[in-house]
Amino acid sequence: MKADLRRLVTEIAVIVLVAAAIGVVWNFRLLRDVWHGNPTAPPPAPRQGTGAPQEPLPLGLMQVKELSATKEALVIDARDRDAFRKGHISGAVSLPLGEADRLLPGFAAKTPKDKLLIVYCNGYDCHDSKTLGRRLLAAGFTQVFVFEGGFPEWRDAGYPVAQGGS
Amino acid sequence: MHPVARHLTAVLRVALGALFLYAGVLKIANPAAFAGSVANYRIVGYFGTYLVAAILPWVEVICGALLVTGWRTRTAAALAVVLNLVFIALLVSTVARGLDIDCGCFGQGDKTSAGTAIFRDFMMVAAAGFVYRQGKR
Repeated sequence: MKADLRRLVTEIAVIVLVAAAIGVVWNFRLLRDVWHGNPTAPPPAPRQGTGAPQEPLPLGLMQVKELSATKEALVIDARDRDAFRKGHISGAVSLPLGEADRLLPGFAAKTPKDKLLIVYCNGYDCHDSKTLGRRLLAAGFTQVFVFEGGFPEWRDAGYPVAQGGS
Repeated sequence: MHPVARHLTAVLRVALGALFLYAGVLKIANPAAFAGSVANYRIVGYFGTYLVAAILPWVEVICGALLVTGWRTRTAAALAVVLNLVFIALLVSTVARGLDIDCGCFGQGDKTSAGTAIFRDFMMVAAAGFVYRQGKR
């Protein structure tokens, strides 16, 4: 019984080690980039036409921090202007979902379609960021992500917050 | 072994293996996206999310392949039990911390709630446990 258990544990350990070896080799470039702090654009490679993703993909706090710090991504605030004025992620631009009909065409005209966009609103119980993300995908942008933790997670993590603007 | 039990074991074993293969391949296809799902659990750090995203899917794929082929069945079944128990613990922790996240169980856009995912994982624990018990020593 004891020998049986030992064999079981050994074999499981072998499986995990083999998986780790394959996983690290398979994702070597990705892991290397992440290790060196290069914000690997987490995206599925930008796809064109009908293959484009219909749902904006979620990003975690750290990824948003990395991508916004290097200006690689444009951070978009989907909340209303009042909330934006009171406090927003430093460097974010305001694009309230409520005004998307009016603002989207202008935004789409002056922003490259392959620009990395990160949309956020008021955290996990707020769906405006996802809705706006879908609209951006529909408008032809290929790399749209949602920061689901939103402004609250960012602020509580002590990251740079700006006030004012519109 | 009773013939019914034998056939049931085979069906469960292959179904469970296929499910693991499927879940693993989906994640291998898009490791960075899966890293996003891992990050949502807020348990491991930035590099950790990518490391988990790089390795975990391969554990699932190997486990699934062993179950489907029937080679080292008991080991694979035991591993499936352990994996699912870990998943359940993680899901329970998200509920306890008030995180409302997609479980990421089957790749991006898996909208399964934590409750459903926990139930599903318990079903898989039961199936894997059955396969383990019936498996050859």
